[in-house]
Amino acid sequence: MHPAGPAAAVIATLWWVLLIGATLIFLFVAGLFAWAWRRPAGPANVRRYVIGLGLAFPLTVLAALLAYGLVVGERLLPRAAPDVVSVTAEARQWAWRFGYDDAPGRETQGILHIPAGRPVDVAITTVDVVHSFWVPRLAGKLDAVPGHVNTLRIEAFAPGRYAGVSAEFSGPGYRAHRFEVIAHDAQGWQAFLTGETP
Amino acid sequence: MSSLLRIALPLTLWLASFSAIYGLQGLLCSSRWALAGDNLPGRGLLIAAAALAILLQVALILALRASVWPESNAVIRHISLGLGVVALVSTLWTLIPVVAVSHCL
Amino acid sequence: MNALRRHRALTRIWASDPGWKGWFTTVNHTDLGRMFLATAAFFFVVGGILAMLIRAQLATPRSAFLGPEHYNQIFTMHGTIMMFLFAIPFFEGLAVYLLPKLLGTRDLAFPRLTAYGFWCYVFGGAMMIFALLAGIAPDSGWFMYPPLSSTLGAPGINPDFWLIGITFVEISAISAAVEITVTVLRYRAPGMRLSQMPIFAWYALVTAVMILTGFPPLILGSILLELERAFGMPFFQVAAGGDALLWQHLFWLFGHPEVYIIFLPAAGAISTILPVMARTRLMGYGWIVAAAVSLAVLSFGLWVHHMFTTGIPHMGLAFFSAASTLVAVPTAVQIFAWIGTLATGSPRLHLPMLWLLAFFATFVIGGLTGVMVAIVPFDWQVHDTYFIVAHLHYVLVGGFVFPMLAALYYWMPHFTGRRTYFKLGTTAFWLVFTGFHGTFLLLHWAGLLGMRRRIDSFEPGQGWELINLIASVSGFVMAIGFALVLVDVVVNAMVAIRGSRDPWGAGTLEWAMPTPSAAYNFASLPQVSSRDPLYDTPDLPAQLARGEGYLGDPARNRRETLAIDVASAEPRQIVVFPGNTLLPIWMAAITGLFFLGMLLKTYWLVPISAVGVITCALIWVWSLGRRRPEGRLPVGRGLSLATAAEAADPPGWWGSLFLLLADGTFFGALLFGYAFLWTVAPNWPPPAYAEPGPALLLLVALGAGLALAGPRAGHWVVAVGSLLLGAAGIAALFLVPDPSAHAYDATVWVLVGYGLLHHAVCLLMIAVVAARRRAGHSAATTRGAERVSHLWSRYTALTSLVIAAAVGLPGALT
Repeated sequence: MHPAGPAAAVIATLWWVLLIGATLIFLFVAGLFAWAWRRPAGPANVRRYVIGLGLAFPLTVLAALLAYGLVVGERLLPRAAPDVVSVTAEARQWAWRFGYDDAPGRETQGILHIPAGRPVDVAITTVDVVHSFWVPRLAGKLDAVPGHVNTLRIEAFAPGRYAGVSAEFSGPGYRAHRFEVIAHDAQGWQAFLTGETP
Repeated sequence: MSSLLRIALPLTLWLASFSAIYGLQGLLCSSRWALAGDNLPGRGLLIAAAALAILLQVALILALRASVWPESNAVIRHISLGLGVVALVSTLWTLIPVVAVSHCL
Repeated sequence: MNALRRHRALTRIWASDPGWKGWFTTVNHTDLGRMFLATAAFFFVVGGILAMLIRAQLATPRSAFLGPEHYNQIFTMHGTIMMFLFAIPFFEGLAVYLLPKLLGTRDLAFPRLTAYGFWCYVFGGAMMIFALLAGIAPDSGWFMYPPLSSTLGAPGINPDFWLIGITFVEISAISAAVEITVTVLRYRAPGMRLSQMPIFAWYALVTAVMILTGFPPLILGSILLELERAFGMPFFQVAAGGDALLWQHLFWLFGHPEVYIIFLPAAGAISTILPVMARTRLMGYGWIVAAAVSLAVLSFGLWVHHMFTTGIPHMGLAFFSAASTLVAVPTAVQIFAWIGTLATGSPRLHLPMLWLLAFFATFVIGGLTGVMVAIVPFDWQVHDTYFIVAHLHYVLVGGFVFPMLAALYYWMPHFTGRRTYFKLGTTAFWLVFTGFHGTFLLLHWAGLLGMRRRIDSFEPGQGWELINLIASVSGFVMAIGFALVLVDVVVNAMVAIRGSRDPWGAGTLEWAMPTPSAAYNFASLPQVSSRDPLYDTPDLPAQLARGEGYLGDPARNRRETLAIDVASAEPRQIVVFPGNTLLPIWMAAITGLFFLGMLLKTYWLVPISAVGVITCALIWVWSLGRRRPEGRLPVGRGLSLATAAEAADPPGWWGSLFLLLADGTFFGALLFGYAFLWTVAPNWPPPAYAEPGPALLLLVALGAGLALAGPRAGHWVVAVGSLLLGAAGIAALFLVPDPSAHAYDATVWVLVGYGLLHHAVCLLMIAVVAARRRAGHSAATTRGAERVSHLWSRYTALTSLVIAAAVGLPGALT
């Protein structure tokens, strides 16, 4: 809930919209319920309840919400762009190994280096069971499925260190199955690629 | 039994067409079938399939309205017609992504 | 004959055996319904204790109370028990107890099957409890994702308990679903048309059909995974052509409908109780039926929303996001129809109503968070966090446990014949209600702060400590509340004063009998003409007790009820029920040995127990019906009917039809799995496809032709066709000799195995029919059995053709 990247930021905004909407709807239903409870007995208009409140009201709200969700979803997809950096993430019980397309042969264990301010595509896979790649402050999560390679777009606004975890239960070592993302500024990233910093 | 079929059929048709189009989309995007890409015949095929699904739902509503199978029980007749409309709306609603969302990303 | 003498005569006919023996021999739905409910309540307590262990562990950071080995078993078993051993059986128990009474009949369609299902549930549940006590319980999470749950991630016996134990328990779900369906369709009171059924019967019918179509994918998945674990058939191993995602599809194909299988019966109870509490009638009956049907079918199109993070293309996700938002609409229709019902009436705040208020407050929140997680990007962030844990508890506890407690308190006077006397229930209510929200409301926030589900402990300093401490304390408050509910129920059942017959002033038929109900339910069966017969005819209970309905004369001295025509509700057949017997428990025990043999890998036990099960089944069917037709017998009110044993469409034929619906879904799921692997799994195509020669194809064509020649050509032709198809299947296995080589080979074995099993069943059925004729049964009394046998033969021949195509086509095309 402290977004540090564009994907996490739009999802955080989405959450606040959802929370406010849900609270309003809950209060409306609760109010209606209280009114219905106190209303003296007598016939009521079935269509008003079933068609008006049961059908029209949710369909309107849900149409808006679905459209919003799909638009946000589209924005977060890993589309081709000129400055995209590609990295790989390979999970196993209970460690992560990262590779870098811009520095072939370079590998890091448990720490993923990325440039800040540039979109990064993480190609995620696993050598054993299902895991999930999740850096909560940067973006949503994506699973590592045996035999498949899934691509997640992440980006950090600013240089810094961000905690990452595996988010699919994977056995006794699950709790400690963590990693870290280090976002570098432009210089730091170049230095990392040429092997000057660990 | 025909009363139950009247009730079950509309949404079952939705389920079948919905699952089939989801499967078709998965197929078009799977690397092995390599029809991927937004401008390839893939999307056209999906739109055609969605149109067919909508057409089938409309045809089913018409069949339920016309007395193809007479139903003596008025409540059952209303419920099945209502479910026909529900299934049509469901088809339209759940197949919106065919025209609105990028294809294989 | 006066009412008291009729009561004595009917009780002598219908009563269970006296004493403890009665528990094991009873086939009466009232007894078995109570036993189901009590056993399910026991498992709720076990699952609740596990939940307390979880909350104790998570109360403080870095807790050393439990290590991950134990914690993983505990949360896996908590989910498994609550889903499979509490929620579904509790619904089954309620339906088993209530349905015949609501519908105005004397028992469920297949009494011995009720007992068999119950004992399968007890024995399967006992296996799970044993695993828990022995510390070898499943530990891969309740949805058992491979490879973690396969030999790679769990080489021990733990997941086998889940796969085999749960499959065993699911026999009870399938058998209960078949019974409920046939009972609702064929066993209603004369005159009760579909549109006049009590609303609970609609919900039960919809739920039962959902069980028949929702559980088979899970059963298939469990069988495939067990085959992979036991024999190395690589369905989920990517290196040999399997795919771990196949399990997720199969599991959630079951798993999402499961949520509605749990919610719909609760909604049925609400739709029944709420109007009575509000002293009015249900608003929008037809709308509610339509909403329940919509919910049921839509729920089968949502399964991928549990898989939003598995890398499926965005358009695929969008389909399921749209469907998941849409499913909120029929739910809203029901909620607002209930609020409308309240508005038309004047509600009373009795204990059942209090629990319904808790339902509204909780379930609406759960539904709203459900809509949130239907939005794909939001789900990417909160998937597998405590947000989901909180959401699912709001839906399941709010949408099932609270309405079921309302149902418990509403029907308590019926179960016990006593008035609720002690006021402990209100205290218990407030403890549970506040405890529940204290536990789970803040856990949403913990999830948003990044707390993953299933971690066995957590580090301080992430803002989670206070939330978890509050959740744990509230969790214990809730547990005390549930304990008080139990005490309240037991105390009231034992010592409260006797109550009146219809304490709430309800209009449905279950209140048209003395409480606690007699073994035979109704002294005579009513003729019904509206949804609330007791409102129209307040004198109905006395009329029925005086024997003025159907079958009021016990002179034939056997258990009888009526079967009706589905649409017109005209009485059509007299059904003669079997008496008390040990057969179901024996058959369940031997079925248990079959599963135990698989579990312990003592494979010699498997065929022996299979023969035992078949023997029991043969004894079972042999005892049905009489040799000589009885013709039309008087049933009262001037009507005469023949027995079901002489009918062309006996209830058994309908039972077979719905069992075949489940069977067909299983087969469909198998074909789906095959197509999924073929198109999606990496490492396809396999090294070689089976290439059946012309001789084999000829054998299949000839066999199918004979098997489909059907009733006209006679049994022996069908039997020869079945034998030829079976031989073709065995020959096909030689084309792919090693089922562990590739997922394709493994799939061929399962497809062929499915066919062979069905041919064996068909041949047995044909043999039984032939033996009955030889033993002197008349044509009239074997007609029904013949039609059942033909139904199965036809199904098997058709699926055999599909299997032949599925096995042979890839080789022919490439």
